[in-house]
Amino acid sequence: MAKMTRREFMKISAGAALATLLPKSLFSAKNANGPVIGVAHGDNAKLVSAAVDLVGGIASFVKPGDVVCIKPNLSFASNVDCGATTNPEMVKQMVQLCLDADASKIMILDHTIQDPTLCIERSRIEVAVIDKKVNLVTLQRERQYAEVEVPGGKELNTIQVAKAIQNTDVLINMPTAKSHSATGVSLGIKNLMGLIWDRGYLHRVNLHRAIAELATVIKPDLTLVDATRALTSGGPGGPGKTVILNKVVAGTDPVAVDSYTVGITHWYKKAFTGTQVKYIRAAADLGLGEIDTSNMQIKEATV
Amino acid sequence: MQTRYGVPITFQNLFFRFDPLILIVVSIAYRTIISTALLAVFLVVATLIFGRFFCGFICPLGTTIDIVDAFIKKRLKTQPVFKNGKYLILLFLIVSAALGASFLHFFEPLAIFERSLTLIFFPALVYLGSLFTLVPTVAYQESAIALLVFAMILGLNFLSPRFWCRNLCPLGGLFGLISKFSIFKFSFLEGCTQCTVCEKVCPTGAISFEAAKIDAAECIDCLRCQYECPQDTIKYKTALVPTRLDLRRRHLITTLGASILIAPLAKTLLHQKLAGRLIRPPGSIPESDFLNVCIHCGKCMKTCPTNGLQPCILEAGVNGLWTPRLVSRIGGCENNCNMCGQVCPTSAIRKLPLEEKTYVKMGTAVIDRARCIAWEQDKVCLICDEACPYNAINSLNETIHGTTLLRPFVDERICTGCGLCEARCPIEGRSAVEIYSIGEERKHHGSYITEEKVNLRACEEKVEDIPSGFIIDN
Repeated sequence: MAKMTRREFMKISAGAALATLLPKSLFSAKNANGPVIGVAHGDNAKLVSAAVDLVGGIASFVKPGDVVCIKPNLSFASNVDCGATTNPEMVKQMVQLCLDADASKIMILDHTIQDPTLCIERSRIEVAVIDKKVNLVTLQRERQYAEVEVPGGKELNTIQVAKAIQNTDVLINMPTAKSHSATGVSLGIKNLMGLIWDRGYLHRVNLHRAIAELATVIKPDLTLVDATRALTSGGPGGPGKTVILNKVVAGTDPVAVDSYTVGITHWYKKAFTGTQVKYIRAAADLGLGEIDTSNMQIKEATV
Repeated sequence: MQTRYGVPITFQNLFFRFDPLILIVVSIAYRTIISTALLAVFLVVATLIFGRFFCGFICPLGTTIDIVDAFIKKRLKTQPVFKNGKYLILLFLIVSAALGASFLHFFEPLAIFERSLTLIFFPALVYLGSLFTLVPTVAYQESAIALLVFAMILGLNFLSPRFWCRNLCPLGGLFGLISKFSIFKFSFLEGCTQCTVCEKVCPTGAISFEAAKIDAAECIDCLRCQYECPQDTIKYKTALVPTRLDLRRRHLITTLGASILIAPLAKTLLHQKLAGRLIRPPGSIPESDFLNVCIHCGKCMKTCPTNGLQPCILEAGVNGLWTPRLVSRIGGCENNCNMCGQVCPTSAIRKLPLEEKTYVKMGTAVIDRARCIAWEQDKVCLICDEACPYNAINSLNETIHGTTLLRPFVDERICTGCGLCEARCPIEGRSAVEIYSIGEERKHHGSYITEEKVNLRACEEKVEDIPSGFIIDN
């Protein structure tokens, strides 16, 4: 995560404060200032670059020489086609983009739930390791984490977050679109739970709020949801009903990306919106992003 | 898939499969020839030709004992010797096996060695490795007992060199008996000056000038006498006359009596009936035979990727010491792994294909609602549902004191008892979902896959309530 200087912060907050004083009518040009969501649809081989281009192109995220962390979902040793883990082809395309943008080092990270060797094997994530600069690291040891304070946290006071992402220039979150027995859906913000040490703790407190609070300390620069296929029931580990969507959803606003993605398919045979998902709502309530799809600038591309 | 220490499966249990003691004792106790161990016939034939070379050249326990010997400088003046001990132990093992109880694991040197490696040295090595890499550490409960036994066997060297091999090892006894008929033996040539150098260097006391002979049953072909002989008058050559075995009748009767008394004790399987928490690895044969066929070598525990396979202490009775059991609180049985059955040298855990393994019912998960935070504290936990690879745990709406929330239920028809839920239950201490051996399936032969099981698992129209992570509009 790129650090914001004090001056930049002041500028932005001053701007935001001024903006609240402006009459509402100025925003009537709908969406104009809402977060941009890039949705690419079609040929799986081109989806990632198309979606990233819609939200500004890779160059706006990765500067030459940057260290990039990519967080796919590799949690379960399930059959990769069932959708419980991120499509490795999407990760490979993202890695290629970062290499093209001249990243100095790319780390693919996850704290797997099942045995890491089996998870790596079953998720076929190794196809994304296409260059010497690419490292695949599982976060199974406590010493890979360092404690971070959660300012204003009600459920979490401190949390042990992977050191790798605390020191990185760019964090790209690459969840898979899947259902979840506890949180309903598991998308971008939920995927951040794979970057902390003690996941069980979040289940012992108010899970939805805790996930939202986690998103206040881990802020990906780019979220790209792999919805090439979605596990619409039986998640997060599967087996369940998998639907083929051939889509990828990208954006910089983590709440907006999740909220939009909820609407792209039915979950548990029912239609839902992002506002109906408690963890996304909790994140929006914390001011982490836009939850209302009508306030987003949705750009679509078919490739 | 490879075992986690990177050795191809074919070589995993090769040593044990060449072991005639395992072949004989297990086959007698199981009343079935252990086909995996038939390679042992080669070793018997080789011993018939060359003598007890296995002990001097191949046995890893013997090698370790030899290494320890090299560091021991002071010993008792009169070294205790009870050469017939190994034959009596061999007799005890065979008679007990005939009575239906195997005690092989207490005496079989290869099993002792492998188990010691697994329970003592493997965790230590992995720990050292984990300081520099990301390999997950392993631990085994009460591995101190294995350490004690191993240390005792090595400590016996203070009494005399190769004490274990000379006096106690039943495999050595078996090879000794065969060596009596071996074609090649060491013998003195003309011109021996009786300088007794050879007698002094012999680690097994096989050379005796008093009796004017080299005992082929004791000789382990180590060649030390031949190297040290100043006259070059010891030679390895053909000698077809068998040497005699000298056993006392009193000892024989005592041994027979001991087997008849002890074997029935091991056959009382009270523990299995009382425990209900003794979960065997997937594909284990029925318990009474399992205890006879398993040689307690620890291969399965070493290969288990979740560290869930742990040695029994008293959970399976005294004779079940060091047999594997699944302690799912430590680690469940991975649905993608069937390694324990692949490495088992005696097929006490059957070699099942991966898919069939996933259909073996080892037990059933039982939810303790008083401890479960989804039941008792209205928490949105449901990690057990998430962890279950077979969708045997369903989260269904249940109203308690006016609060409607998803709570976990076990579908006992689908649950295999793999324990992945128990391993991940986030509450401290004992899990709120535990595996009991309810509905446990143990088969000697035949497939674990039935049409009913396949249909139940494939059923797409599963009972599944909308997760409480959604806000549902009415």
